Amino acid sequence: MNEADDRFDEKLKATFDASVEELDAATLSRLNRGRHAALAELQRPRDQWSRWMPATGVAAAVVVAVMVLQSPLAVKEFPEPATVTDIEILLGEDSIEMLEDLEFYSWIDTVDMEGDVG
Amino acid sequence: MDISTTVFAVSCPGTPVTGTRELQKERQLNQFLAEVERRALRIAEIGVRDRDEALDLVQDAMIKLVRNYSDRNQDEWAPLFYRILQNGVRDWHRRQAVRNRVLVWFGRKASDDNAYDAISAAPDPAGRAPDEELENSEAMRRLETAVHALPTRQREAFMLRTFEGLDVAGTAVAMGCSQGTVKTHYSRAVHSLRATLEDHRPDDYGPGGFKR
Repeated sequence: MNEADDRFDEKLKATFDASVEELDAATLSRLNRGRHAALAELQRPRDQWSRWMPATGVAAAVVVAVMVLQSPLAVKEFPEPATVTDIEILLGEDSIEMLEDLEFYSWIDTVDMEGDVG
Repeated sequence: MDISTTVFAVSCPGTPVTGTRELQKERQLNQFLAEVERRALRIAEIGVRDRDEALDLVQDAMIKLVRNYSDRNQDEWAPLFYRILQNGVRDWHRRQAVRNRVLVWFGRKASDDNAYDAISAAPDPAGRAPDEELENSEAMRRLETAVHALPTRQREAFMLRTFEGLDVAGTAVAMGCSQGTVKTHYSRAVHSLRATLEDHRPDDYGPGGFKR
């Protein structure tokens, strides 16, 4: 900003200040009442609950989340995740026949174990 | 210790120090608000072009400042107060935009700028001659029109810097932007106003602030 800008700025401020000085009594009275209404806020007891409400809300949410996660019911709600072996069995085409004769293979396994012991 | 402090200390013997501090805080706030309220009103009025609405906005800003920031350092009050006020002016414009869209939808005229203004029509309380009063009011009217025509951020920067006298740092806090942005908006605003009011260069100004 150069000197001419500064002078221009000062003139605009002078014009504005003149308009401030011209405010009528009714307007000044309303401003005065508004100021006192604002200052009355200092006398109002602060609402302690509203001040702590955000922290209380977060704490309550954390407690609820922990209770839900720790609950035995919640654990039983979710099935055990399938292991990699189970997925391989389900996806592998060669294993389908074995699954159909699962009892047979189980018996064979038992016989082999008895044979080893004996 | 003045009378009010003494009375408080007698009535509340357990908390005289706190009471004194509160009274001092109230006095400081009262002084601050009394100093800024008239300029704040005119700034808000230029922003919304309605004195009643501007009065409401200034009162809301005062209440919010006292309620939320009275514990802050006194030096911070002015930027915070104007930040609240500018936010109020912006919210007011948003509400007006919605209201006007609804009114247009129902086929009604959105606003009436030619309504009779009893305040403008009232006689000058300072008792100036009609010619001088006319010169001043005409100068301010042209200035208001030019300032109001500025983009919002330029208008805010200009009014806070020039009319309220906040420094660059305070204006940045009030506008919620960087000091560099304030300088840019302010510079553009001044140059735009000079171009708009080219016929009213400083050398030509009379006592009322505008060309004789």
